[in-house]
Amino acid sequence: MDSIDIGIAVSAAMLVMVVIGVRVAFAAAIAGVAGLVWIFWAKKGYDGSQFLWALTVAVKTAGQVPHSKVASQALSLIPTFILIGYLAYYAGLTKNLFEAAKRWVGWLPGGLGVSTVFATAGFAAVSGASVATSAVFARIAIPEMLKIGYDKRFAAGVVACAGTLASLIPPSAILVIYAIIVEQDVGALLLAGFLPGAFSAIIYASLVIGMAMTFKRLGPPVSGFTWKQRFASLPGAFPIFFVVAIIILFIYNPFGGDAWGTPTEGGALGAFVIFIMALMKGMRWPQLKSALLETAKLSVMIFTIIWGVLIYVRFLGFADLPGTFAEWIGSLEQSPMLTLIMILMAYAVLGMFMDAIGMLLLTLPVVFPAVIALNGGEGVSVADSAFGMDAVGCAIWFGIIVVKMAELCLITPPIGLNCFVVAGVRPDISVQDVFKGASPFFVADALTIAGLIAFPAITLYLPQLLLGS
Amino acid sequence: TEWNVSLWGKRRAFTEHVEKIAELVKAKTNGEFTLNISYGGLAKNKENLDGISIGAFEMAQFCAGYHADKNPSITVLELPFLGVDSLELENKVSMAVYNHPAVQADLARWNATLLMPTPLPQYNVVGVGDAPTALSGFDGMSVRATGGIGEAMAALGAVPTSMSATEVRQAMDSGVVKAVSFAPHAHMSFGTVENAEWWTTNLNPGTVNCPVVVNTDALASLSDAERDALLGSVDEAMAYYIDFYNEKTMAKWGPLLDKKGIKQITYDADAIADLKAKVAGPAAQKWIEDNKARGLPAQELYDLVVSTVSGS
Amino acid sequence: MAGHASILSDDSTLSRIDRAFFKIESALALLGGLAVFSLMVLAVISVGGRNFFNQPLPGYVDWIEQLMPVIAMIGVAYCQRLGGHIRMDILIGRLKGRFLWGAEFFSTILMLIVMILLVWGSWSHFDRSFDFNAPLWSRDSSLDIRLPLWPAKLLAPIAFAILCLRLALHAWGYARAFVRGDEEPVAVPLIEDPAAVAAAEAESVSGMDDDGLAMGGNRNG
Ligand code: NA
Ligand code: NA
Repeated sequence: MDSIDIGIAVSAAMLVMVVIGVRVAFAAAIAGVAGLVWIFWAKKGYDGSQFLWALTVAVKTAGQVPHSKVASQALSLIPTFILIGYLAYYAGLTKNLFEAAKRWVGWLPGGLGVSTVFATAGFAAVSGASVATSAVFARIAIPEMLKIGYDKRFAAGVVACAGTLASLIPPSAILVIYAIIVEQDVGALLLAGFLPGAFSAIIYASLVIGMAMTFKRLGPPVSGFTWKQRFASLPGAFPIFFVVAIIILFIYNPFGGDAWGTPTEGGALGAFVIFIMALMKGMRWPQLKSALLETAKLSVMIFTIIWGVLIYVRFLGFADLPGTFAEWIGSLEQSPMLTLIMILMAYAVLGMFMDAIGMLLLTLPVVFPAVIALNGGEGVSVADSAFGMDAVGCAIWFGIIVVKMAELCLITPPIGLNCFVVAGVRPDISVQDVFKGASPFFVADALTIAGLIAFPAITLYLPQLLLGS
Repeated sequence: TEWNVSLWGKRRAFTEHVEKIAELVKAKTNGEFTLNISYGGLAKNKENLDGISIGAFEMAQFCAGYHADKNPSITVLELPFLGVDSLELENKVSMAVYNHPAVQADLARWNATLLMPTPLPQYNVVGVGDAPTALSGFDGMSVRATGGIGEAMAALGAVPTSMSATEVRQAMDSGVVKAVSFAPHAHMSFGTVENAEWWTTNLNPGTVNCPVVVNTDALASLSDAERDALLGSVDEAMAYYIDFYNEKTMAKWGPLLDKKGIKQITYDADAIADLKAKVAGPAAQKWIEDNKARGLPAQELYDLVVSTVSGS
Repeated sequence: MAGHASILSDDSTLSRIDRAFFKIESALALLGGLAVFSLMVLAVISVGGRNFFNQPLPGYVDWIEQLMPVIAMIGVAYCQRLGGHIRMDILIGRLKGRFLWGAEFFSTILMLIVMILLVWGSWSHFDRSFDFNAPLWSRDSSLDIRLPLWPAKLLAPIAFAILCLRLALHAWGYARAFVRGDEEPVAVPLIEDPAAVAAAEAESVSGMDDDGLAMGGNRNG
């Protein structure tokens, strides 16, 4: 067997392990170590006396990965963003946001649904976790909607779907993970998420308005707020804008002067502001301790997948599988766009069964080089490229699309975690109800993804404008 | 025989001697001995020496300053203001140091044999904002510089600031640092030249030293013909590299500065000599003390560098 | 895909060891959380120092790179204890009784083998950076301020060894459940159905928003 065959066989074995329930991080690490042993032993012609040598070299090679790959400044954004999310609950921002959104856009058809979408988009700017965002808004928004006669499936569906915005709108741990895996600028990816997140929110809101106008039974608008009441609601939501402003100022200074630092510093300062707010709202050591423990647990979970998968990636490097797969994809006799859409379809299917982070980490090491090759390679000019952008643009554009795909899996049956969470918060609403309520939003997400593909400018405008790349 | 070679980044001027030696070795052995070059797939750049020591791959490139404690002996080549003014001289000084028994013993701890250097020009500075037309202009300026170059900048009153190379462009655009010291090819590939306003032509604070090493056991187990093909190709690969760097990179650099309207600052010789006297002596002295403590013949190594430079 | 589970306890030896060990794991996880917190503090010092005192924190990046392994690894056993490492349980979740414990035992043993190998591999990574005869015992140092790297590298084999002990406990727990044919064994993470996972997730954020702070005492308004 040559090294490519070994690469394919080991990758297949890893997928089998994942399917039979070996924890993703460890399935990848097992595959990586076993694959390295195989590659090194094959190099010695499977000579029995050389097995111990192959094992030693493989284990020592794999043993470098955990420390050397996680000791990175860019990765420090992940735990920071997770901490921001947990502290944000204590800072008491969600209710204020929902109240402000209600007063400003509640008069629209489906007004509370639209308010939920925009309040969630606002909360997404301090939270990186979709599932938790849905859980919070299920508790705040659903009771209000039901009180004025909203259809409960509709109400639950809106909350489950709007929660997915948290991963697109920065801060977003999943965008950072993508940037690290494909070795792109973290700041550029975070900036790139803004407009697609807003775009996605507008499509959700339009769908809510359209549905409310078509089916009157879904829910009435809420009206009667004065301008004075509207403006009075803003200070409560103000801290969100403050934090967003800090993170932006650390990536780019819109006033033409110096930015204030790097994205990693901006993220950490944002967390600090939220921390102070939470202290003022009454957070004390017991709550802080539980936030720190939850942050530690989630961070460790993500980092374990990262180093586990990177051991597998190290093996792939020796097997040269990504390069060969990219060549194969590049040589297909069909339009690159069709190939891209087929790749996205595969993600949609995979996403039905897998968690977003695990799915991206397991697939990107092989898929990403293939997508870059599909566009015309690393050094391609905009004119010669398949998708009308250079390699860096393609990396950012594909990242946003694939993260949006991964978010879709949070609302698709059978394992749409956001839907389960909404049902978990509301014992009176069954999981089936939430899935049914969420199903119209698949259309919205399909439209969003089509829009992102058709108009790369939605994704690339901000990074190009602000970072000039 | 098939060797794996661990480099990082992309193919660039910095890696042309390795690409060339692979080509030469293959041709000389009629394809019997091949070097598979991998850009980043086999190890992280800071772990290349570890990979050689483990035996995961047979050839690798790394920079001494990434991990001074792993290779203290060759950091002598990264001292500030050594007065090296050409790639040819950088090559000569590096080889002189690489051939010293104490240096070979230092690398032998990693089961590594030094094959050839990657001579780089002096790490002059590009920057934004007020141009430091006199050396006093560096006072209080935040500069991205590491190792001996950082020490040189600190002696000027500048504030050396740390960040990874990939964050440098952004840090400069955002004003976290006002200036960056790199070799010209890196200024171009990391984009620091894009928005730059000035460039120092003759500050010449020093450079980094990035050797190519091979696994000693793997070298020993080559057939005589293969080993001759490899070792006999070093000179030709180095000549090719130096030519490539001068012709392709440096030839692009000057016109690029002109095209972008970047102000070129040349300091007068006396000012540079002053600075050298102020920085070079103490830095060398400190290096010698530190490395004596590691059991290296530090004074001897430093003298070797100085005599090689002055003898040229 | 799930990353949540419940763990039962009783007064058996296994359960008592499990709970005692969990105390150690929790303390280490909290250390990881405090390391995240200190990332935040470091950034405040760095930005403040640079912008207000023109004095950047020397080696800011080097310090972050020292902290990251703590955050990434020290809680790895804590996460395993709570069944927090994600997996696809769509298939294994359908098994019951001995079939389930057998399958869990098998995947736990696989994990244990790879982690024992990685204790060896990460120890050797540490060992290459450590030299008793060198200043600060250091044979590998950070880029800017030359911090010795061996303490951070040593963290990996330590965290992994603790995980190995935890995995051994889990293997014991599953083997015991297999032999006894338990329905609901103690000291191992039990798979929860998605609804229970969701309820737990909702629980973890309730008490976090406005009205929930009542628990903490200091509620204003
Ligand atoms: Na977010
Ligand atoms: Na799903």
